[in-house]
Amino acid sequence: MSSGDSVAQVQTAQIRAAGSSPARQSAYLPGEAYDEMFAPGGATRPHYELLRHRIETLGADELEDRQETLERSFLLQGITFTVYGAESSTERIIPTDLFPRIIPATEWSVIEKGLTQRLRALNMFLADIYGDQRILMDGVIPRDLVLGAPSFRRQMQHLYVPHKAYANVCGSDLIRGTDGAFYVLEDNLRVPSGVSYMLANRDASRRTFPGTFRQAGVRPVERYPDLLLATLKSMSSEWRSNPQVVVLTPGVYNSAYYEHAYLARLMGVPLLEGRDLVVHDNMVYMRTTNGLRRVDVIYRRVDDDFIDPLSFRRDSSLGAAGLFNAYRAGNVVICNAPGTGVADDKAVYAYVPDIIRYYLGEDAILPNVETYLCREPSQLSHVLANLDKYVVKAVGASGGYGMLVGPHASAKERADFAEAIKADPCNYIAQPTIQLSTAPCLVDGAMEPRHVDLRPFILSGDKIVVTPGALTRVALKRGSLVVNSSQGGGSKDTWVLADDADVAALDEPAKSAGARP
Amino acid sequence: MMLARVADSLYWIGRYVERAEHLSRLAVVMLNANLDRTDAAAQAARIALAAVGDPDPTRSAQVLQAAHALALDKEDSGSVMISLARARENARQVRDQITTETWERLNLLYLRVTDPGVEEAFADDAAGFLQEIIADLHLFKGAADATMSHGEGWRFMLTGIYIERAQLMARLLEVCFSDAARPAANDHIALMSLLRMACALEPYLRVYTADINPRFILEFLLFDEDFPRSIRFSTERIEEHLAHLSRRLEGERADALRLAGRLNARLKYADADEVEAAGAGSLLAAVADECAAIHEAMYETFVAYPLELSLPA
Repeated sequence: MSSGDSVAQVQTAQIRAAGSSPARQSAYLPGEAYDEMFAPGGATRPHYELLRHRIETLGADELEDRQETLERSFLLQGITFTVYGAESSTERIIPTDLFPRIIPATEWSVIEKGLTQRLRALNMFLADIYGDQRILMDGVIPRDLVLGAPSFRRQMQHLYVPHKAYANVCGSDLIRGTDGAFYVLEDNLRVPSGVSYMLANRDASRRTFPGTFRQAGVRPVERYPDLLLATLKSMSSEWRSNPQVVVLTPGVYNSAYYEHAYLARLMGVPLLEGRDLVVHDNMVYMRTTNGLRRVDVIYRRVDDDFIDPLSFRRDSSLGAAGLFNAYRAGNVVICNAPGTGVADDKAVYAYVPDIIRYYLGEDAILPNVETYLCREPSQLSHVLANLDKYVVKAVGASGGYGMLVGPHASAKERADFAEAIKADPCNYIAQPTIQLSTAPCLVDGAMEPRHVDLRPFILSGDKIVVTPGALTRVALKRGSLVVNSSQGGGSKDTWVLADDADVAALDEPAKSAGARP
Repeated sequence: MMLARVADSLYWIGRYVERAEHLSRLAVVMLNANLDRTDAAAQAARIALAAVGDPDPTRSAQVLQAAHALALDKEDSGSVMISLARARENARQVRDQITTETWERLNLLYLRVTDPGVEEAFADDAAGFLQEIIADLHLFKGAADATMSHGEGWRFMLTGIYIERAQLMARLLEVCFSDAARPAANDHIALMSLLRMACALEPYLRVYTADINPRFILEFLLFDEDFPRSIRFSTERIEEHLAHLSRRLEGERADALRLAGRLNARLKYADADEVEAAGAGSLLAAVADECAAIHEAMYETFVAYPLELSLPA
């Protein structure tokens, strides 16, 4: 764990000087953002009470010990990503924070309903866009915005997708604003990653705070792998009774390789690379030691562009030639469907509330972050005039690249970016700078606030399932709002609490067990 | 049924861990011999370096450097460190096929030899460092045996282990018993070093008592039925595993099994007196060649087979 911030270091020095005193609350200074653990007056929010109590009884040394044990166990399990340098490559663990982030049942039920609604609407939108395009005829979304998006795949036009489930795995990014409400910042419908961290973090935090975990009544996330398998199987259930499911990975050099292997292992299905696949007569096979064997469902963790050199990028060797034709012929299912990216395009994002209203006749349960489209002249001039207040993002970029954070940028950076926007306004959107909520993290032995977001995972096949848990990503640098792991982000476990009734049910047998002689 | 690429990786994990263990043991014997005030060190170093194909006589004079090169040389593809790194890289590619217990043993070994403090640890106590690696490799094999299903994947890994072992033992014996090397084989110190390098000293003593006789040693390391590092033991296992792996293959595709059976029969029904009379050199060379042929045949049969054979008509 590193923190280059001088303020953080001063505080650390004070804590160290105090010896092995408990990690005290006095060092904790939440800023103006909503804090997950403490209400504005400094009182602990009720759902954090158990955890606070536990933390107070542990010394700073004890906490650091547990942090070390945790990091050691991640390294040993190989939960790492690879950092490529000039000479050699090294493997690092994604920094993982000891304290779980806790979400009470009432808040979660809103999130769950909101995400289900959103994914239902987005799947209907995709079926429509790759079908009759009613939404474009009715003028709800500008035609060129959808059909001109780089992620639109005309090859998908009029192609049958079972259950109209295009985005089988979705990982939406939610943030909590200063008002305490959750907003959707981004929908990830292509190949969202991070679910292995959700599961690995849970594994770790159960061991770090076993008593608190049991008492709190945390809803389990361990069923994710079998729910994922059921979702994938449901995609071909109409014509194959026991389909062969596989995971397709770009290979061991991909930064998310650990996750691909992890999911394949927990689902008990083969982990394939493109070179293991053979397509013959529009059938897809894998090369086994005993000849070829038919493949029915491919959970691919390879981007659209790379899955088939005949249909998409010609220079790709990560997929298999002819795969897409086999898909067209209905002999194999690719999950997520190619072309889902058009629904998480940053410009289309601005229209999601309209999309929900159009297909479902409902208002969006989870609001969007206010978004300005630079393609609209009136919005463009507003953005250019207030560049110091907004975050401007390139539509096609992701991972925290190609963006301007107005309030933190210099005048020259803003001027340069303004030129870029004017040159290609369609490629940019702007959003107000949002103070993400903060959660307590263990930084050099002391508890400090760090900004966090929330990435829950939603599965859709014959039905939509939201896993009661999430990956909480943490901006480890004090004050930073960027949580991407490629930009120095970390993660922590997320406890979704069961309803009170469930908590009581969980508590009862434990108490009686303790009372037995 | 398993992926061809996965089978290949598992096979290579077996080969690389066996190689790492053998090289570590050669280096340990060299280092321990170095403690005696005799020419034992030079003898041991000469045997070990010749067995890994480095006959440069000047190197055997500097035992510590030679051991260091065997253990930690980043350039030499035949060092313990590189072998472990490759075993682990293969394991990473088939991470979904091996159990967590097995993976963690191997990952731990890899983290140890690539640790920034590894040079210091080696300089501090080289023999101890290597002995720990050997012990950890035993833990790896134990974990694989105790936690992995003894199915196809496990058999590919073990075939890799035994093919590598048979080849390495053949090369080690060639150094001491090939027709050109015969005079050296009468040296007591050299013979003790050989037994230690084959991890065979205690089992040998149980069978032949402390009678250190070159003929007995050759017989023991070539033909013993029960000693896990004898060539005969290895070829028996290779045949056994390939018989399982080839069960569903048609006749002409079971070439690897045919070769393995032939090699095993050659050792099983060999006559010790005849070998003694004719010189062990030709038999040992044949073992190395046949192992290479089995390796090729396995690749052709299970991994890189022509697709026309298996496409539906």
